Amino acid sequence: MFKEIFLFDLKQNFRKPQTYIFFGIFFILTLLLGMLSAGVFNVATSDTNLVMNSANSVAGIIVGLNDGILGLVNSVILVAIMATAIQKDYEYNTHPLFFTKPITKGSYFFGRFLSAFFTAVFVFSAQVIGYYIGCLFGIGKPVMGPFELMNFLQPFLVFMLPNILLLGAIFFSATTFTRNTLPAYLFCIILLVIRSVTSNITADLENKAAAAIWEPFGAEALGYITQYWTPDDQNTKMIPLEGQLLYNRLLWTGIALLITFLSFFRFSFSQFLQPFSLFKRKGEKQEQSSAIQLHSLSLLPRVSQRFSGMENFRQLGYLTRFEFSKMTKSAFFIIICALGIVMMFIISQYMGSIYDTETYPVTYQILESVAGIFQFFIMILIVFFSGTIIWREREQKMDELIGTTPVSNTVLFFSKYLALTAVTAVLLVVIAVTGMLIQVSMSYYHVEPLLYLKAILRMLVSFSIIGGICIALQVFTPNKYLGFFLSLLPVMFINIIFSLLEWDNDLYIFNSSGPSMPYSDMNGYGHTVGTWLLYKTYWLSIVLIICMLALLVFARGKEKGLKARFRLSRTSFGAKHKLALAVCMLMAISAGAFIFYNTNVLHSIVTPKQAEEDAVAFEKKYKKYERTLQPRIVASNISVDIFPEKRNVSVKGSYYLKNKHAAALDTLFINYMGGDNSDYHYTRLEPETGARMLIDDKKYGVKMLLLDKPLAPGDSIRFDFEIDYTPKGFRNNSTGTEVVYNGTFFNNMVFPSIGYYPDAELSSNAARKKYGLKEKPRMAPVNDSLARMNTYISNDADWIRFETTVSTSENQIAIAPGYLQKEWKKDGRRYFHYKMDSPILNFYSYLSAEYEIRKDKWKDVNIEIYYQKGHEYNLDRMISSIKKSLEYFTANFGPYQHRQVRILEFPRYASFAQSFPNTIPYSESVGFIAKVDDKNQEKIDVPFYITAHEVAHQWWAHQVIGGNVQGSVLMSETMSQYSALMVMEKQYGKQAMKKFLKYEMDKYLTGRTMETKKELPLMLCENQDYIHYNKGSVIMYSLKDYLGEQVLNNALSSYLNKVKFQEPPYTNSVEFVSYLRAATPDSLKYIITDMFETITIYENYVKDLSYTKTPEGKYKVSLTVGSVKFRSDSVGKNSKIPVADYMDIGVFAGNTMKGNTEEKELVLQRIKMDKPEKTFEFIVDEKPVSAGIDPYNKLIDRTPGNNTWKFGSKPPKVNTDVKETKGPGSVTVTVSSDD
Amino acid sequence: MQLIISNVSKTYPNGLKALNNINLSIGKGMFGLLGPNGAGKSTLMRTIATLQDPDGGSITLGTIDVLKQKNELRKTLGYLPQDFGFYPKVSAVNLLTHFAVLKGITDKGERKEIVDALLEQTNLYDARKRNVSDYSGGMRQRFGIAQALLGNPKLIIVDEPTAGLDPMERNRFHNLLSEIGEQVIVILSTHIVDDVKNLCKRMVVMNKGTIMLEGTPSEALETVKGKIWRKHINKNEINDYRTAMQVISSHMSDGNLIIHVYAENAPDNSFVPVDGSLEDVYFSTITKN
Repeated sequence: MFKEIFLFDLKQNFRKPQTYIFFGIFFILTLLLGMLSAGVFNVATSDTNLVMNSANSVAGIIVGLNDGILGLVNSVILVAIMATAIQKDYEYNTHPLFFTKPITKGSYFFGRFLSAFFTAVFVFSAQVIGYYIGCLFGIGKPVMGPFELMNFLQPFLVFMLPNILLLGAIFFSATTFTRNTLPAYLFCIILLVIRSVTSNITADLENKAAAAIWEPFGAEALGYITQYWTPDDQNTKMIPLEGQLLYNRLLWTGIALLITFLSFFRFSFSQFLQPFSLFKRKGEKQEQSSAIQLHSLSLLPRVSQRFSGMENFRQLGYLTRFEFSKMTKSAFFIIICALGIVMMFIISQYMGSIYDTETYPVTYQILESVAGIFQFFIMILIVFFSGTIIWREREQKMDELIGTTPVSNTVLFFSKYLALTAVTAVLLVVIAVTGMLIQVSMSYYHVEPLLYLKAILRMLVSFSIIGGICIALQVFTPNKYLGFFLSLLPVMFINIIFSLLEWDNDLYIFNSSGPSMPYSDMNGYGHTVGTWLLYKTYWLSIVLIICMLALLVFARGKEKGLKARFRLSRTSFGAKHKLALAVCMLMAISAGAFIFYNTNVLHSIVTPKQAEEDAVAFEKKYKKYERTLQPRIVASNISVDIFPEKRNVSVKGSYYLKNKHAAALDTLFINYMGGDNSDYHYTRLEPETGARMLIDDKKYGVKMLLLDKPLAPGDSIRFDFEIDYTPKGFRNNSTGTEVVYNGTFFNNMVFPSIGYYPDAELSSNAARKKYGLKEKPRMAPVNDSLARMNTYISNDADWIRFETTVSTSENQIAIAPGYLQKEWKKDGRRYFHYKMDSPILNFYSYLSAEYEIRKDKWKDVNIEIYYQKGHEYNLDRMISSIKKSLEYFTANFGPYQHRQVRILEFPRYASFAQSFPNTIPYSESVGFIAKVDDKNQEKIDVPFYITAHEVAHQWWAHQVIGGNVQGSVLMSETMSQYSALMVMEKQYGKQAMKKFLKYEMDKYLTGRTMETKKELPLMLCENQDYIHYNKGSVIMYSLKDYLGEQVLNNALSSYLNKVKFQEPPYTNSVEFVSYLRAATPDSLKYIITDMFETITIYENYVKDLSYTKTPEGKYKVSLTVGSVKFRSDSVGKNSKIPVADYMDIGVFAGNTMKGNTEEKELVLQRIKMDKPEKTFEFIVDEKPVSAGIDPYNKLIDRTPGNNTWKFGSKPPKVNTDVKETKGPGSVTVTVSSDD
Repeated sequence: MQLIISNVSKTYPNGLKALNNINLSIGKGMFGLLGPNGAGKSTLMRTIATLQDPDGGSITLGTIDVLKQKNELRKTLGYLPQDFGFYPKVSAVNLLTHFAVLKGITDKGERKEIVDALLEQTNLYDARKRNVSDYSGGMRQRFGIAQALLGNPKLIIVDEPTAGLDPMERNRFHNLLSEIGEQVIVILSTHIVDDVKNLCKRMVVMNKGTIMLEGTPSEALETVKGKIWRKHINKNEINDYRTAMQVISSHMSDGNLIIHVYAENAPDNSFVPVDGSLEDVYFSTITKN
């Protein structure tokens, strides 16, 4: 009997069009993804080391398709397939036919369940099949490896199958027992909550392993086990079903089976007839109406019916209230609200983590990070409710009753629209109130109700546009479910497809907001408020036009088909209706035309692809001038007038250009920001002496001049320029954030530069190949003597004299590097004259804002912090960090070249801090609002750390600067990291460093998995963050440990003294490393090779550990540890090399204090690992808890987590293998240091 | 005031001819529209009630051109469709108020007065706080009539209102209707002959989109007078009779089949004449040709 039911049902399912529609949706989506990976579409190209048809890529696609809104689509489709397998018998009242037949429970239940399950598997297999076929388009291209069926099959079996089983079982059971699909749909929302909460929680490293097991769909587990996979691993390995992933899959498949069997045992034919319900209905009192006492109908009171315009409004108001209360009383609404609130509270706990340090819950943070997901719920709710309310009358069979009442379509339709908008408003208010409660609950009392109000008003406008389109579409469609799908088109799918194809004109991206900038405490919503209103007017009028067209076919009677409905409704298409339609059209057209004028006439829209082509054209045209010798800037004297309220800047400046070459120069190549519609206007660019124009290319910003009188070696000329920055109108979707109402921040990149500008070239080698350009190394080789004639931050200057006058509006303070010479007021404006007394790099910035100032002093150095009022939280930490830094750096590296340190807050349009000479612009989002938990030893004091890093740059970048070659960031970024680490260690102790370094190790290991070109050894690093910051921190801290702090600092200081303020050729990392090598004893020389010259990775692990208690009450520990050493190539292909290295081993006791376990060192010894595995024995006084090798992760380790192990269990076997490599072995870069 | 329907036709997209050149003129009082399922009654009702447009023809109520001035008609229309439901979880008093607003009774005081009076009238006042969706069939129909009576309608259309009601409820409903019929035009569509017999001043019989018969019930009876014959036959002979004569109805009695036959004269001696009832009129009309 099972077979009959199963096959019958399966046949039924495969007869339904919906099965193929779902299959088709998935197929097309993944086909597009596959073709996109295969490079079929004509979009910009970036470099990658990854192949797109590896098991890891396929797994990533499968898991990714289950995330976010797409995950929701998956769930909804699965509900449609699986949830109703049994429930449909009830819905269509066929259950008596089945239940009275002599079939067993098992064959009925499993027949139904399995046929639905197999249908679901078929539908979801489209995701893999589509992607496979899409990938086939890329055969032969480097982005595709060899096609292995297993690469596609295995992720399908490991992820998709169990997930379908799990969700399917849940949906099936929930629907079968409640006889209603609503619980299943609600569960979809809950899943969304689980997903978003999980992804927030895992920002903290500590939670990752746990989340890998508990997250139901294996996404976290996949991420966890592949987190440190190098590009080579990712391309060649299968997904190993082991560790966290195995446990996760077993656990959730087990749960799925459990749910299935539990519901099987609970299921009974009779119970099914009485749905399981949480809310028991009260016993209905069936009152029998008493005998009729008919009154005469003529006794009915006479009433007056009024049909004036005024009454229409009354009806509208009444109906809006009615619809509103229907929606807000629905279970769906209440549950969404409750879920949203709960989720906001959960996510707020993990808000804005940088290095695991939370930020203060400032209002914009709440609105962006916490309320973001809630908004997503609102969107779901709008889509759902728009269908519900438009179809309510027809579903409840009230359509004929309502249809014959003398109420206008307009009132019926707009009452629903208004009610939907009101419901959205209520949800937004819920967000605001919850947000404020979160702030107060976190003891943050700077609540800004007005800002909440502004934010929710903006969201309300946006949602009412979405609501309008959804509700209008529901009027047009012949059924509700098709309406849901159609609603998702403008709201979601179209935008996804447009962005894949790089169609990015906001005129056709539904509900676009135009150029936008984030809210900033300093600058509020800035200058985009007007354009925002314009775009919203544009979209709202379009939506209203669609609504009014929908009104013409508003379903009032029984007619089906748009034509018949129009015939029925056309009588109401009167003059007023036509007028309103015309007004909306006029508004849409004029707003659209104005937008078009701004974005396409005043500016041009540049797609990434066009930008590529422009870069190619620039290179082809001007590359030949790269070697044309140019004079160098030796002095800058610049006058800048900032008009914040007009967002206008005018610059009058002059450079002194000196011929530092041996021959006379006659050609001047000037480079500036070109473009047909640039906001920067270079009104003057000319040397003081006469010159003839050779080229004046405004498109690419190039001006070439032939000097009348050649510039003799050693001579200088003055070069004058004038710039007018006046943004005209607005651009398509971006806006300049340099010059704003409050918080202007720009640097000398916008000033003209001298000579060809190679950074403007196309950098992606895949793209260069496409355009027939030669491959371009990311950076010049470390010993390239020509490249070393420039620093890595400037092509046209060495050290310059700098003087500037800057003016701004009366209420603002304007700042540039240098010492304030004079400050005055003139014509309601403030002027500041700054001058540097020592040479600086050609790298300076201008800022202007309404600042508060905090001043302090360290010895003779003035410390000033210019900050936004209200952001006082961490000023003391910053000042303390500056003082401690100055103290440590002057003592260990050499004197500070300036007499002041200034920190200047700027709006959060960028989130970095950047060190200019004695001037440190510091984003409001980093550090200023960080909330440092002083009680928790392990939490990192982020403002303290960032400040120390930036102060260190005054030595490492502003005193010593490497040439424009590989590895130069070692002497700036890595050294600033090291310097900051040392200041932190002095302040917070060694223990506090552990967590910081753990994060650095994690970021390095993760960063190298995402390398798109090639990973390089530290000393050859090509501006790769994960190497020069994260690996650099670990390595320098470890080097300090091996050499000793003083030895290392002495070496650093002697290097610094030799090269600081040097003229070209500039130093390089080879020279730097030679100082380190010199300071290293012979027995340790190998570490220099391991750390700087090669990519060396260890696999250090505990093989076995145990202890016995001795008669004296002590503990005898036996510890067997192993160490494998690898050299890694540029894509992470490893090869083993023998290990004979010094490393730590340790035994630890655990002191539990107030629930926190603190490790206590019992033994920490440096030993030499000269065999792959070694056993050690120790006698310790206290009961040991854990032990291991390199317990503090001083060495780069591919699995840092298994270096120590707890006593009492045997550690798992560690895979120390390396796949045999066919090509050349490890790439060891040996560079001789001969200069 | 008269409702005049002239030359109204309607063909559905699937080719079904629902209304075939209907001409009617209906005055004050109960008007019965009798016909089997699928005769086109509901289509005609909906067309009059502005819920559908005919392909051609015209409908006027007094000075109102129904097809062009839909909203004018709606102001004076009470309509109780054949198949209807209510919003869940809304009480009778609230729902009736809802309809009152839709009908333009915007004065709160008046509205409350009429709502209470109508609930009283339809004997639902005691149950006014209960949700209409939980009402029994009879109560729902009475509530339906209450909403149709809102706002002094001059034309009331009720489409198969007594289907599924128990005899007592049906009786009650008839009483209610017949009183309404004294004041305004009431069009009652039904396939139950008794409804028409008890209530209607005038009636038509409709089948396959065409009006087969029009008149007062007594005029209708006149048409079959002396032409209905009855016979007990054996169950399996029915088909022979069907081919031989116009068998208008048959029902079982004590294991035998009793058939009624329409014929000018007795087909043979075994047939006995019967007094034609309205039911016989109905059946003879719809089994013609």
